[in-house]
Amino acid sequence: MNGIIRAAALARKDLLLEWRGREILTAMATFALLVLLLLGFTIGATPSTSPTMLWIALGLATMLGMPRLIYSEVEQGAFETLLLYPGSREHLFWGKSAALASLLAVLWCVLLVIAGLFFNLDIWSRLPALIGAGVLGVVGLSATGTLYAALLLHVRGRELLLPVLLLPIMLPLVLAGVRVTEAALGGNNGGMWVAVIGLFDILFLLLAPLLFEAITEET
Amino acid sequence: MPAAELAVVADGLTRRFGLVSAVRDVTLSLPRSSVLLVIGPNGAGKTTFLRLLATALKPTAGRVAVFGADLVREPDAVRRVTAFVPTGPTTYDGLTARENIEFAAAMSGTLVEPQEWLERAGLAEVAHRPVRTFSQGMKRRLTMAQAWLRKPALLLLDEPFSGLDADGLRLVDALIADVKSRDGSVILCTHEWERGKRLSDLMITLAGGRLVESTSLVSTTHVEFVTARGHR
Repeated sequence: MNGIIRAAALARKDLLLEWRGREILTAMATFALLVLLLLGFTIGATPSTSPTMLWIALGLATMLGMPRLIYSEVEQGAFETLLLYPGSREHLFWGKSAALASLLAVLWCVLLVIAGLFFNLDIWSRLPALIGAGVLGVVGLSATGTLYAALLLHVRGRELLLPVLLLPIMLPLVLAGVRVTEAALGGNNGGMWVAVIGLFDILFLLLAPLLFEAITEET
Repeated sequence: MPAAELAVVADGLTRRFGLVSAVRDVTLSLPRSSVLLVIGPNGAGKTTFLRLLATALKPTAGRVAVFGADLVREPDAVRRVTAFVPTGPTTYDGLTARENIEFAAAMSGTLVEPQEWLERAGLAEVAHRPVRTFSQGMKRRLTMAQAWLRKPALLLLDEPFSGLDADGLRLVDALIADVKSRDGSVILCTHEWERGKRLSDLMITLAGGRLVESTSLVSTTHVEFVTARGHR
């Protein structure tokens, strides 16, 4: 119970700061929109290419915004204080991950609406399936993102290194996300690709909190 | 002195950063209900010493027990009884003073009435103002209140007097007195020696990471409990 309170307090704090500052979400949404536009103009804004563009935009925006969520706290010296509170550091992982997942979920919804207009997609009749695909992907993105950000906590030039490490690990998730979104738009159930994202999420949700605790203890 | 009466027992505490030893072979015992003043020039290892005791760093060598809990094997047990107030404020500028207090309470698993702690910190009237509008001294008082609400048995203060006005200094005095009254101990590092001495029972001097001198500041035999290898 105490762990849930701690994780919720941390997520609430991050989201409250973001709500008041609107730094991360604004930057991520603007960047994702630019990626969508760029890909749309270069590849062609057709419904068949929209899932790929959506997931590329989401993945790249994650790499832009996620370091800010964790490293701004490190720069202020507040992250060390967080680590020194009593209790499992897994709770910190859950809190940070939940905050990031919430921001990404909002971003996914914004991107869906923009893609609906831009690619002439009928998102409204497929909304539950599209939101489901987004939630599955967002959970995995936030878990891997939080873990890798912690991994590079004490590394110089971590903001530059993070995308290099994160991109390969995100690749299966983005690929499966594309396929599940294609299936959702086509009125299919996604089959194997839903299982791939599900497995990815379960694996990282089981391992990442433990690794996060081990990584943050090693100072 | 029986181990149960000791707040901190350090034996050969060492921390190296690469080839540089920030803290070298520090051995001391600190009784409960006492205040230890740590002095020394810049780079003497004072902050590293505090950060080691706070579990922010792991020792490279040596053993430390804080209220009987081993620093390396039981870091969470140490964190439960320890509060560390670093030199700079660790508050969140985008939150109000009250929200900062609520956050610290939730993270430390403590049920508190935020208003009470804001009053102690002299910040009750600005409880709903964002911390970004606060002066450095006000932020520091808020950081102190966040540490205080945890009711620590071992309080670690790094330069606690810097940037504080008379009210802020009284807050530090009250915080230290409260920890002592609960049979806890305080370790403070400061360059303001005279003020630090008035609040402390014991004093050690660090130089180049080594404990080079230990002194009792009160007319008791406390000095017997603070020892350094080769310095008694």
